[in-house]
Amino acid sequence: MRNEIELEGIIEDYLGGKLSEAEAAAFEQLRLNDPTVDHKVVTHKVFLDSLKDYASNLDLKNKMDHAHDQIDVDALSRKLGPHPSFIVNLWRKNKSAIAVAASFILLTVVTIYSIQQTTEQTGSYKQMSAELNRLKSSTNTLIRDVKSSQTSKAAVKPVKFGGTGFAISSNGYILTSYHVVEKSDSVYVQSSKGDLYKVDITYKDPINDIAILKIIDKDFSLGTLPYSLKKGKVGMGESVYTFGYPKDDIVLGKGYLSSQTGFNGDTLAYQVSLNVNPGNSGGPLLDNNGNVIGIINAKESYTDGATFAVKAKFLQEALSSIPQDSVVGKISSVRKSQLYKLEPSKQFSKVQEYVFMVKGYN
Amino acid sequence: MSNKLSSSVPTDREVVLGVLNNSEEALNKLYTGYFPMILQFILNNNGDEDDAKDVYQEGIIVLYNKIKSGDFELSSKLKTYIYSVCRRIWLKKLAQQSKKSNNISDFEDVIAIDEDVEQHEEKDRQFDKMQEALLHLGEPCKTIIQDFYINNLSMQEICEKFGYTNTDNAKTQKYKCLQRLKKLFFQS
Repeated sequence: MRNEIELEGIIEDYLGGKLSEAEAAAFEQLRLNDPTVDHKVVTHKVFLDSLKDYASNLDLKNKMDHAHDQIDVDALSRKLGPHPSFIVNLWRKNKSAIAVAASFILLTVVTIYSIQQTTEQTGSYKQMSAELNRLKSSTNTLIRDVKSSQTSKAAVKPVKFGGTGFAISSNGYILTSYHVVEKSDSVYVQSSKGDLYKVDITYKDPINDIAILKIIDKDFSLGTLPYSLKKGKVGMGESVYTFGYPKDDIVLGKGYLSSQTGFNGDTLAYQVSLNVNPGNSGGPLLDNNGNVIGIINAKESYTDGATFAVKAKFLQEALSSIPQDSVVGKISSVRKSQLYKLEPSKQFSKVQEYVFMVKGYN
Repeated sequence: MSNKLSSSVPTDREVVLGVLNNSEEALNKLYTGYFPMILQFILNNNGDEDDAKDVYQEGIIVLYNKIKSGDFELSSKLKTYIYSVCRRIWLKKLAQQSKKSNNISDFEDVIAIDEDVEQHEEKDRQFDKMQEALLHLGEPCKTIIQDFYINNLSMQEICEKFGYTNTDNAKTQKYKCLQRLKKLFFQS
């Protein structure tokens, strides 16, 4: 017991560096010779180190507690703590999750929407008669005032509906879309040269969207119609063109036949890839040989270049409704078109004389 | 985040020198300077004020040991170091309490400090063991040991304080106490 105490005293002094050089050397020799002593030295060192760490940590903690007491923790918490509102916290913590969820939903909606779009043509169907706004109608009035001096037919009411029509006889029968004139009380047509004529509506076919107008002026006469009517089948991809009045001047549009059926598989109509605008309704659709193959009547609202045209074979019924004795130089479905094998640019300049702007007033 | 902390903080050099010199003033400055940052972090991540205090003090101890061990290089800002250490400690605590520790709201940059924190955890275990052992040691042994080894009183002073008749008795008592403490410490 005594020796043990002595030994521990020496070990402590040795570890504390308090032994003289000779004593330390002797003690190290003892460690080498006696493993039990060596073991005691090692354990004691470990223990003393732990105790020292403990002491310094304890000291540090006490000092920190002291420092901590000087801090106004409550005030800081109020300033730095989370927002008291549950919603705000939820938003702050789950921003990323919410973002992911939102984009997923968005993606799903877009996907579903686009699937529906591709499986069915649900895009709304927009008829191409222009409902002109007030601004435009005021400019129209101005133009008409100038024209009226030439034709001595004054029309002071603003244009409400506008479209296109084309001659189907040389003495003033004009074909257009029914929807262009359906709401109009009085209708005028204006030629590409700017001459204005009052017309009567002589035939209405809402089902096929066809109307026939007759220029009242008995003296009115056009040359022989350059184009003829093609009632037969038109091949896919065939080049087509149309004239129309989306603005106050005649506009040419070119494209190709893209489908044998119209909106939602409507067999009355063709689908053509052609850019049209409000005002194109009622315009003739011609193929490269100068045959009228249809009448532009609508386009799909959300798809550019999907335009629909009533097939020419449904014009036949309309044509036969005209009193035969009053028609001069009726459009033919038998005779070959004069435009046959004519260069496109020459065709265009001939045809445009037979295309009229239709103006409706109510 | 919006609540950037603007309370006065000592410069990093000031802190390192203060720690090496055991300056209590430097500790105070350090402690009060960075506490709001950690408080903000803990409060916004499922903790309360007491959690903040515990975590922050552990973090400061890690910093102290790091500086004292001499291999503390100012490769990062002290602020970043403290924040990263405390963050790591708090995440571990959250995991132990099996609270969710995803969606941590961060307020500062974070650097890798895993090694330092692991070393600290080992030391912390030793600390707890010693605390436990001393607690079980009972009086008067605990005070004798603390006076001799921690408060560095001489054997003579202890002899007088506890009223032993001579230093040999005191030495014997201290020896017995130490043996028991060692036993408690190494066995636990």
